[in-house]
Amino acid sequence: MSQPVDHTMHTQHSPLRSALQGVREAIPLLGGYIPVSLSFGLVATQAGFTTWEAAIISALIYAGASQFLFVGMIAAGAPLWLVVAMTLLINVRHVVYGPNLAALLPRSRHWPWLMHGLTDQVFALALTRLPQLPEVKRFSWFVGASLLAWAVWIIGTAVGATGGEAVTARWPLLGEIMPFALPALFLTMVAPRFTDKRWAAAMLCTILAALGLNLAGWSNVAIPLAAACGALCFYTVTFQPRRSRP
Amino acid sequence: MSSAMWIAVIICALGTLLMRVVPFLWMQRRLGSTTGMNAMPQWLVILGPMMIAAVLGVSMVPVNPSAISWLATAIGLSVTLLVWRRLRSLGWPVAAGVAVFGAVEVAAALI
Repeated sequence: MSQPVDHTMHTQHSPLRSALQGVREAIPLLGGYIPVSLSFGLVATQAGFTTWEAAIISALIYAGASQFLFVGMIAAGAPLWLVVAMTLLINVRHVVYGPNLAALLPRSRHWPWLMHGLTDQVFALALTRLPQLPEVKRFSWFVGASLLAWAVWIIGTAVGATGGEAVTARWPLLGEIMPFALPALFLTMVAPRFTDKRWAAAMLCTILAALGLNLAGWSNVAIPLAAACGALCFYTVTFQPRRSRP
Repeated sequence: MSSAMWIAVIICALGTLLMRVVPFLWMQRRLGSTTGMNAMPQWLVILGPMMIAAVLGVSMVPVNPSAISWLATAIGLSVTLLVWRRLRSLGWPVAAGVAVFGAVEVAAALI
């Protein structure tokens, strides 16, 4: 990635400052988290869950699409084993995220609980930003960024459960405009790869596949399937180096 | 919620957490061991950015798809890209993109 690397010397490294940097850099994620968590709170209460139950589901499962599926299937009266199986199936894509960050983050005994914050969006942000940060700052940065996202997700759920209808009725465009922060953020993350033809072709293939799968109603499998298409494209499509004229 | 439903929530939460943490710790141990890998496998290095591109593709679909919202998305993403080319940062391009996207949506609602 071609963003400037943070080369400032950190002889007096402050974990708090690094964590606050993570918090600041995770703010664009909230444009997507706030409307979706408000919607989840609203949907959960409409499905018969209390505000506390909705907030606890958000705190413990903390995976957007699967939470909607969870409350939706329960409201529809599906058997619990099927609800659990489908929820876990949707979240299988998370298994690829951790190994990608393993080399970028230091060892710590806190990872077993901190990795709870590894959502699609936090992964994308961390994979882009961590290589640009000095190693000493990375742990605190991840703590700051992931805790902010998690806290906002829970608070958003609680607000949505208690007053979601009033909020969306008062500011109807809020739920349409704020989520645009996510594609804008992800665009700035993938843009540096477009300087290389092979990467650009594979990325474009992935974006179009994900878009198409989502529009076709396959949103739950769109991310892993589109990423697999892109990886396949990367391995199969090669570009001949341009020949110089005699 | 019934106790059976609480158990379902806990199983889903634990299962999701394990999917996040176990592959991470496994890879960290493999990378750190003398007999394990010295670097990440290439397929994994490629799959990471592809996952981000896939999340971009999924999130590009507007909340309420219509001709106006697709137009606002196209304009908003173009502005984001232009600001990013100039500044090469994360924050300002996103702010500019959201502002322009919102302006198009509001203007369309007022007309």
